[in-house]
Amino acid sequence: MTMTTTLFRLDYGGKLEREITRLIESFSELQFDTSRYPQRWLALKLLEADADILEQVRAMPNGEQVISLAAQSAEKLRSMLGDDVDMLIADRRYGFINGVVRQSLHRASIDRITLTDRIDDIVTHKWLGLPIFFAMMYVMFRLVIDVSAPFLDWTDAVITGPIAGWFALLLDLIAAPAWTHSLVVEAVIGGVGGVLVFVPGLLILYFFLALLEDSGYMSRAAFVMDRFMRVIGLHGKSFIPMILGFGCAVPAIYATRTIASRRDRVLTALLVPLMSCSARLPVYVVFGLAFFGARAGTVIWGMYALGIVVAMLAGMVFTRTILKPDASSAFVLELPPYRTPALKSVLIHMWENTREFVRKAGTVILFASLVMWILLNLPWGVENKRDSYFGKVSGAISPVFAPLGFGDWQTSGALVTGFMAKEIVVSTLSQIYINTDESAEVAEPTTFGEDLAGIGVGFINATVNSGKILLSIIPGVNLVDEDAEAQDTVLSRALREHFTPLSAASLLVFVLLYVPCVATLGAIKHEFGTSWAVTSAVYQTGVAWLVAFLVYQGGLLLGLG
Amino acid sequence: MLTQFLSLLENKEDGMSLFEISRLMNAQPSAVQAMLELLVQKGRLVEVGPDGKVCASCGLESNCRLLAVKGKRYILCK
Repeated sequence: MTMTTTLFRLDYGGKLEREITRLIESFSELQFDTSRYPQRWLALKLLEADADILEQVRAMPNGEQVISLAAQSAEKLRSMLGDDVDMLIADRRYGFINGVVRQSLHRASIDRITLTDRIDDIVTHKWLGLPIFFAMMYVMFRLVIDVSAPFLDWTDAVITGPIAGWFALLLDLIAAPAWTHSLVVEAVIGGVGGVLVFVPGLLILYFFLALLEDSGYMSRAAFVMDRFMRVIGLHGKSFIPMILGFGCAVPAIYATRTIASRRDRVLTALLVPLMSCSARLPVYVVFGLAFFGARAGTVIWGMYALGIVVAMLAGMVFTRTILKPDASSAFVLELPPYRTPALKSVLIHMWENTREFVRKAGTVILFASLVMWILLNLPWGVENKRDSYFGKVSGAISPVFAPLGFGDWQTSGALVTGFMAKEIVVSTLSQIYINTDESAEVAEPTTFGEDLAGIGVGFINATVNSGKILLSIIPGVNLVDEDAEAQDTVLSRALREHFTPLSAASLLVFVLLYVPCVATLGAIKHEFGTSWAVTSAVYQTGVAWLVAFLVYQGGLLLGLG
Repeated sequence: MLTQFLSLLENKEDGMSLFEISRLMNAQPSAVQAMLELLVQKGRLVEVGPDGKVCASCGLESNCRLLAVKGKRYILCK
């Protein structure tokens, strides 16, 4: 049997073929040596402007003339066909390959659908995607708050009990002056310790976030969020900074550099601070646990959702007023397959994020707490903090917040210091309330051994209680001891004397929406100029006041106060 | 095919997954992947991700949560 073969030649279409022929003819006319390469292949490579071939042809006799002719042909084709020749050639090749595959390969459609595709069809669904994303976030926050609550109590007891006691003993041993006791108890223990109490909660939060990220779900969440970006008039690329904004707004503002349009960049930067950054979480947790008990997780989830809703509304207003949209284009997402998260990777991720929080507590928050302590004690020796410089200034601005339900000088002062960093709202409230209300707890006489034993027993109890809470998630299982649930931090007890649940909710809304921290405003100023930084500060504070006013006054009208 | 791919991106408002594109173009996902790589090579798309040009110039890689999710993203260049 004999088999005959014909040389295959892909037809690139009339115009391209004419230029290929013209180039091949020019090889003979210019007496260009084509013994090294097939003529048609060489003509195509010259039209594609293949760098390697151009280099070799240039070195050959009459090479420059051949290259010049090829460049003229390529330019002619580009003007006629509206695209670069290399793209047109590749397009023809892909078209041919796809045609061959379609004719020769018959694959049952079911074979192409993997488990990942099936899950993606649901979690990235046009209508189901966003509700599933919010449901996932809700479950996560419920777990974080419920499971971390016993550890928060334990950390609070350790910091305000044994650690405060050890510092006091040390100061007594070196016969330190009385004011140093006040400095350590109020500024260091009250301020920094008040924020460090939330480390267990953050560890658990980052654990769940790492699980979601390593499993591949967060990529889908980003995909789903893109549709939300469309609604508020933003380009799909804006989802990168928006997601970063849930961690910290500063890198999120700088991440807007990946967006080409200045209008999109500015709009994204104005909306990013409305995403609940991790610095706000301590404020949510302390007020959530103090006033909303078992519903704290729901309230915190509500804060995240409210931030997104307000960003959506603000985006709609901006796109219809000062930031009119321009033409935008789509982007492609390559979603990684779902996989089982590796425990080591999850633990590393959890630790790295929490370490950053602890580092901030040891630097920015410690500095702010020391400054706060000085301001609360000036003029030196002032008896009542209300009469300190800080108290007087805070008292002067407090009427602004009265319609929002928190018109006292303490909260006004804490909100002002929150401009430095949002966690400082908690450290300031701790400094103001804890030492005056419950300093007696710090001075309980115990031996070092008893302290260590108490810390160990407390940790074991917290672990057992957390385990019970986690198991109680299973329907029909209830292992939670009702008495254990009712534990409080020192700050929670103090706050309940000054707030109602309605005024606490109003404050949370205000903290969520009001002026971005100084580092975020600095980033906006650096990227877009002073006027946009001022715009961000003014519009956010205005929106925060308005929404908190509606929450508080609306709640009073509904009889919730 | 490439022209169809590019016009799909130009006319679609929101993001698309690789699988979605392969369905819309009636092409194998591996072929779409190859086209993506070619378009990146030709400068028509930019990859946003650990190996992409955008991230390399951003300088915020250590803080980026997007990179942590390990998904590749491509955006259309004008």
